[in-house]
Amino acid sequence: MAAREIRIYPDPVLKTICSPVTIPDDSLDALVQDLLDTMYQSGHSVGVAAPQIGDTRRVVVVDVSASKLGRDENHGSLVMINPEILDREGKKTMREGCMSVPDYTGNVTRAEMVVVQFLDRQGREQVIRASGFEAVAIQHEMDHLDGNLFLDRVSNLKTDVFRRKKR
Amino acid sequence: MSHFALTIIGRDRPGIVSQVTEILYRLGCNIADSSCSILGGQFAMILIISHPEYTDRESFGGAFAPLEENNLSVFLRTLRPGGEKHPHLEGELCMVSVYGSDKPGIVYRVTKELGERKVNITDLNTKLIGSEERPVYVMMLEAVLPPELNIAELEQTLKSLKNELQVDITVRAIESVEL
Repeated sequence: MAAREIRIYPDPVLKTICSPVTIPDDSLDALVQDLLDTMYQSGHSVGVAAPQIGDTRRVVVVDVSASKLGRDENHGSLVMINPEILDREGKKTMREGCMSVPDYTGNVTRAEMVVVQFLDRQGREQVIRASGFEAVAIQHEMDHLDGNLFLDRVSNLKTDVFRRKKR
Repeated sequence: MSHFALTIIGRDRPGIVSQVTEILYRLGCNIADSSCSILGGQFAMILIISHPEYTDRESFGGAFAPLEENNLSVFLRTLRPGGEKHPHLEGELCMVSVYGSDKPGIVYRVTKELGERKVNITDLNTKLIGSEERPVYVMMLEAVLPPELNIAELEQTLKSLKNELQVDITVRAIESVEL
C-alpha cells in the first residue's frame, strides 16, 4: 500500500459519478489504506476522495485534526464509505483550493454543520455530526464522489462585497 | 511567445466582451489571465494575452480600430519576457476593510502604510456609497504580508490611522485551505 498520485483535472475520473460500495472486500481495504497514505504523505492534505487517486468507488478519508482550523473540533481520522449527508445547518464560506485543481482558489459557501451517515473501515454503520472546518472538508471530499469540483460551487468572485441590488 | 497587457474601457453596454474577444480570437491571440468589471458606468477590461508570432504592438496593425470606433479606449503594453508569470508570494494572506465618511486621502494614507511595510496588495476595490449628503467611502483590499509581519502587528500599525482619518479599519486573515 502506498501514497498514490493525485489526479489533476481534466482527468475524466474527476468528473465521474462514483458507484456505491456493495460488497466490502480486500480491495476496498487496500483503497482505504491508499487514501490514508496519500492524505498523510502529502503533509498538508486534510482529505482525499477515491476519484482523486483514480478509483470510482464512493470512499473518502478526512482528517483535520492536525490543521490549525480543525484542531479543536474534529473526529480524528475518518474513513467514510458510501457517505450520505442526512442533515445540514448554517453557512460557512471558506476560500477553497484542491490538489486536483492546482493554482486556483475560490470562495465556496457550504453548510457549517452536517450530519453524515457512512460505513467505517470495518463496515460498521456510523452517524456523526461534524461542524466547522471538518464539515467543510467532508462536503468538499463528498462532492468529488459526484464529479463536482469546488469550481462548480464558487459562490462569488472575491470582490463580491460591492455587488448588490440597485436601490 | 510574447505576452501583452491589453486594457479596454468604455461606457458599459452588453456585447463589449464578445466584440473584444472576437477580435482576439480572429487574430489568434490567447487570453491568459483577465479581470473585467464595471466601475462607475464604465466597463473596464484588463487582459494578459499572448500570440505565437506577434512581437510588438505594430504586429496588431489596426485590429483594435473597430473598438475605438465604438467609443472604447484601447491600450496595449508589450510585456518583457517573464512578465506574464505570477510571482510566488510567501506570507500571510489578509483582508483589510476601511470605511468611513468620505474624505481625501483614505486610499493614499492606508496604502502608504502598507507599502512602507512591504505589504503586497493583490486586489483592491473602492466604492463611494451612502447618500449625496453623507457619502461613505469603502475600500476593501487583499494583501500578502511579508514573512516578518503578522496580522496583529499590521492591525496595530493601522490603529493610529483609524483615529487620524476617523475611519473604521479591520484586518483579518483569509483562511485559504487546500482540501
